Amino acid sequence: MNWAETIVKALKDWDTSLITYVPDISIHQVTSLIDEDPFFRLVPATREEEAIGIAVGSYAAGRNAAVFMQSSGFGNSVNALASLCIPARTPIPMFINLRGGPGEFNIAQVPMGQAVRPIMDQLGLVHFTLNDDTNMDKILDGAMKLCYANRQPMAVCLTQLLHGGKLA
Amino acid sequence: MRRFDGTQLISRIAGNAAIVSNLGPSSDELWHSGLRDRNFYTYGNMGLCSSIALGMAMATDEQVISLDGDGSMLMNLGTIASIGREKPKNLTVVVWDNEKWGQTGGQTSHTGMGTDLEQVAKSCGITRTKTVTDLEDLEAAVSEAMKTDGPNFIVAKIEESGYMPVAPVEPEFTLYRFRNTFVEPRQPGS
Repeated sequence: MNWAETIVKALKDWDTSLITYVPDISIHQVTSLIDEDPFFRLVPATREEEAIGIAVGSYAAGRNAAVFMQSSGFGNSVNALASLCIPARTPIPMFINLRGGPGEFNIAQVPMGQAVRPIMDQLGLVHFTLNDDTNMDKILDGAMKLCYANRQPMAVCLTQLLHGGKLA
Repeated sequence: MRRFDGTQLISRIAGNAAIVSNLGPSSDELWHSGLRDRNFYTYGNMGLCSSIALGMAMATDEQVISLDGDGSMLMNLGTIASIGREKPKNLTVVVWDNEKWGQTGGQTSHTGMGTDLEQVAKSCGITRTKTVTDLEDLEAAVSEAMKTDGPNFIVAKIEESGYMPVAPVEPEFTLYRFRNTFVEPRQPGS
């Protein structure tokens, strides 16, 4: 099972079936699998904070939901996390392609990519970073369990070292 | 038409529908219209009211109503495109359109300068749209929407006429109570 298949399995194991996302070439390796799988409903959003809103609505009506985005788009979603998810306690797993690290070619991706985890820390939200697929199934299973137990958003940051990234 | 009168009307005819309300007066007035377990009041996340409603409509087959505002809708026009793309049959969006940002000093919004949200909805592929200016037409539009496959998009032109007291809403409890109408309540330790 490769890294993308491992994410799909974790989503299924935790009955998280509505996936909303803003497209990204690296997480496309996961969302393309989701798109082909009738277990899921894949919903493209126009912007990352919209994706957070859709996911919260789905959870509120009884269907667990996760969000996929790139680190640049995390910057678009911060107020949705701060003013909606945290006060209402909504467990939204977020899978973030973390740009701006080793191998990055685009100067514009570095500041936001480097800021994702400090912002999560400032919000008091838990995050994990995956640089390779060692023990990935156990880490994801534990991360999903924590997210639903804590009833707060949780981020899994997927780096270029894991997925190969976007070539210049 | 006053927003509070329209809100009371919708609350009365909504049956068991989920109602999501925009931050500020829309949520205050929904709260003052009478408590319903399926009211989802918001107090932050400006612009996301109809996105939340879209997510709800894709998680349940039951009717979902969004009580949005022109200023908030303008902040997230993209979600109209998403509604037009997904076309949930059970979603009705009502935009209280006072053509201003009422809570920040009454500055004229874009809908007061020519932006027509009904036309935006039409251009996004939402075919069941209407603009109403009085309670009678609002009641007819919402009643029809409850009985007919959507998505429905209703622009309700309103006049700002004072505010109700801020509702004592607690977001965590709002979500817990709302969600428990769709799923079994969480048990201690689960």
